[in-house]
Amino acid sequence: MAGNAASPEDKPASQVRISLSTKQPDVSLAQNPGPILVNTNFRRYALSTLVNTLREAEKPTPFEFLINGTFLRTSLEEYLNATGISAETLLAVEYVKAIIPPLYVASYEHDDWVSSIDVISASSAESNSTSATPITPGQERILSGSYDGLLRMWNMSSQVLATSPSSSGGGHTAPVKAVKVADPSLVVSSSLDRTIRVWRYTEDSAEYSASLQPKIELYGHKASIDSLAVHRPSNRILSASADHSVGLWSTRKSDAPQAPPSLIPSLSSQGAKRRKVGPATSTPQRGALALMKSHNAPVSDTMFAPNDSTVAYSTSWDHTLKTWDLTSSTCVDTRSTSHPLFSLTALSSLNLLAAGTSARHITLIDPRASATTVSAMTLRGHMNAVVSLATDPQSSYGLVSASHDGTCRVWDVRSSRSDKEGRVGDSTYVIERESTKGQARKAAGEGTKVFGVCWDADVGIVSAGEDKRVQINQGKGIVGDQKAQ
Amino acid sequence: NIDPESLLPKLPSPEDLRPFPTTTATIFRGHEGRVRSLAVSPSGTWLVSGGDDGTVQIWELVTGRQIWSAKLSKDEAVNVVRWRPGTDATVLSAAAGEHLYLIAPPISDPETEAHSRTIIDAGFGYAATKTSNGSSATTTKPTKDPPTPWTRPTPRLLEAGVLATFPLLRTIKSLSWHRRGDYLATVSPAAQSRAVAIHTLSKHLTQHPFRRLRGTGGLPQSAHFHPTKPIFFVATQRTIRSYDLAKQELLQIIQPGSRWIAGFDVHPAAGNNLIVGGYDRRLLWHDLELSTRPYKTLRYHNKAIRAVRFHRASGQVPLFVDASDDGTVQVFHGKVVDDAMENASIVPLKVLRGHGVRDGLGVLDVDWHPREPWCVSAGADGTCRLWM
Ligand SMILES: [Mg+2]
Repeated sequence: MAGNAASPEDKPASQVRISLSTKQPDVSLAQNPGPILVNTNFRRYALSTLVNTLREAEKPTPFEFLINGTFLRTSLEEYLNATGISAETLLAVEYVKAIIPPLYVASYEHDDWVSSIDVISASSAESNSTSATPITPGQERILSGSYDGLLRMWNMSSQVLATSPSSSGGGHTAPVKAVKVADPSLVVSSSLDRTIRVWRYTEDSAEYSASLQPKIELYGHKASIDSLAVHRPSNRILSASADHSVGLWSTRKSDAPQAPPSLIPSLSSQGAKRRKVGPATSTPQRGALALMKSHNAPVSDTMFAPNDSTVAYSTSWDHTLKTWDLTSSTCVDTRSTSHPLFSLTALSSLNLLAAGTSARHITLIDPRASATTVSAMTLRGHMNAVVSLATDPQSSYGLVSASHDGTCRVWDVRSSRSDKEGRVGDSTYVIERESTKGQARKAAGEGTKVFGVCWDADVGIVSAGEDKRVQINQGKGIVGDQKAQ
Repeated sequence: NIDPESLLPKLPSPEDLRPFPTTTATIFRGHEGRVRSLAVSPSGTWLVSGGDDGTVQIWELVTGRQIWSAKLSKDEAVNVVRWRPGTDATVLSAAAGEHLYLIAPPISDPETEAHSRTIIDAGFGYAATKTSNGSSATTTKPTKDPPTPWTRPTPRLLEAGVLATFPLLRTIKSLSWHRRGDYLATVSPAAQSRAVAIHTLSKHLTQHPFRRLRGTGGLPQSAHFHPTKPIFFVATQRTIRSYDLAKQELLQIIQPGSRWIAGFDVHPAAGNNLIVGGYDRRLLWHDLELSTRPYKTLRYHNKAIRAVRFHRASGQVPLFVDASDDGTVQVFHGKVVDDAMENASIVPLKVLRGHGVRDGLGVLDVDWHPREPWCVSAGADGTCRLWM
């Protein structure tokens, strides 16, 4: 309409007063300009130009704009109409640096599907306070777990520094499903072989040698163990198993009870007959501190509560998210959703948990007892099950998801809209598999399913998949806000 | 003027009947040639498939990773694979040619695997005891057959977990377990008076209770146990007969009106309701309380229907599915209403496309996840698919 035959009688474009602010110090304004009168036909681009003019920056920076916690995706006029806010109001507008694409960095090739990864870096070691030697840039390590039953430790030059022993040498006897770094010298893995294994990782830079040596084998689960969490200060491990239980374990053999003999393959008669165990391995075998049973379907993921290591969360195919009190090993809260839940992470400063579903979306759940609605927001866009989630280490609002559709997606929970199902968010960036870039997308993500994703402040977004690769994408500043401290 | 549309009963819209499977979540590749049969394990975490290449393969259901495989036969297709019901053990039955196999695949914890082996092996002990005592547990049974020999398979198969096998007279086309997991029914259509066999696992005992199936609508095709009552259903090419197993009596002759029945299924919660699929492209719903004739006839396929299946938890998940040589799988809502005044409401929900058609054959078998609204399909194109 506006484009053709504008009549001179058209009323002048209406205006609205805005106040600009930012929480990002590197792009803040030298002095507060106070309320600014702008045309209501302004959109993101015009506002971005305005901020760059006020900053008198040599190189313009693209900005995004937040009003009442939601990104502006329309003109100011459409925003005011949609929200019913009067144009007389002074609008508080927050600007953040616009999204930087998570650029591809490198791929590490494996012999078989890669199920999971974790990272050792200065920032990841910080959270595991026991680290003795600081990790300098370039000294980061990536730990991968593969369907060939092996763990591998990689450096940043895509070299394998250490590989875990094969099944005959005390390693896993089936595909590895989860790996976690407890600290730079201690790693934990779990497998379809129903065991958790604790490994000592040593590196001798003078000798250019490194090794992954079995420290403890943990028995107790009766089916595949698909996810792990480690809390280093208390030496505790959490496990999620297809046997419907959540396990609590110790990384120290002195703390741990005896392993149940009936679950050790080499001791059960048929196992001994079939597996022909070679020279007996001397790895100590231990049992669980607790096997917590309340789910009635496979448990897919588990984690310690971000601010309280005596509390755990778990997700299950039974559609529920459960809260556990680890001191009493009891389930204290159950949130029921409409779909099987396959993955879990926390947006701790927002008091939200994100759960990936079999139904191709992510549900944001407020686990506090006071929360009245189960789902606070739904993140839509994946085309297959969402099987792994990780939180942006540098933003309170960001997370990344891995899906069997062959992509990872980056989300900013402030980027949302309302529809008939409530708050809905769309992804801000899609990370494809570099191994199949440019090829037509295959049905069901065949050959490119992503099984695991990790987001490290130093290394970036690291993902693992059916393409037998670990893929690294740049991870800094994708979600434009520093973490509120 | 009355709008005739307003007189028709209002069907709920598919949107209101979600969730039901809509898209391919996983593709399973590993068979050479047609996949003939597949089934999701009672735990809901494994898929088993069998095909023309003579192999049985076990897969992680959601990732599509092959975990175990065994070649049962060099030259015969594996026509049927079925899990024993229950989560106390992991026992698999498979039919290759005229041989039935019982398998404890090495996918369980040592306790469960030992229990699975005990369940399969118990009958060997029973057979030995019976011989040495000279007393026969079969004297009261209406069969004069000598006991069928259950044997150990080759060492190679034994090593893989295939623990027992025994031959029937002709190629086995249908396998169906009683819900308690001790009885297994097989149908070998060409075996004449021994076409239908009921095997007692714990005793390695085989009975042929239905001697006179000739003249009852063609050769026997498939058989199922009633989910709660001692009733047994046998489909021939044109009729389905229900028998009282305790009294050895014919109860009902059901007339689907199909020219050639490909398969049928009994509603797991309301055993008076059957679905029947025919090579003549018709899908029929029978409510046996109403009539021996179909309550509803559905014509949605261009080619033969190969398999039909109610959701295992049909009480809570009112879904059923069929598979056709036109390459599609079709999902239906089918709710059995308790109210005697009201009949089952049936709504077509979704056509699942993705399988290729090879030499005129499309989708050969379908099954459901035990709890979720997820189904799986076996294709002549050599793949299985999981639909979510
Ligand atoms: Mg009725």
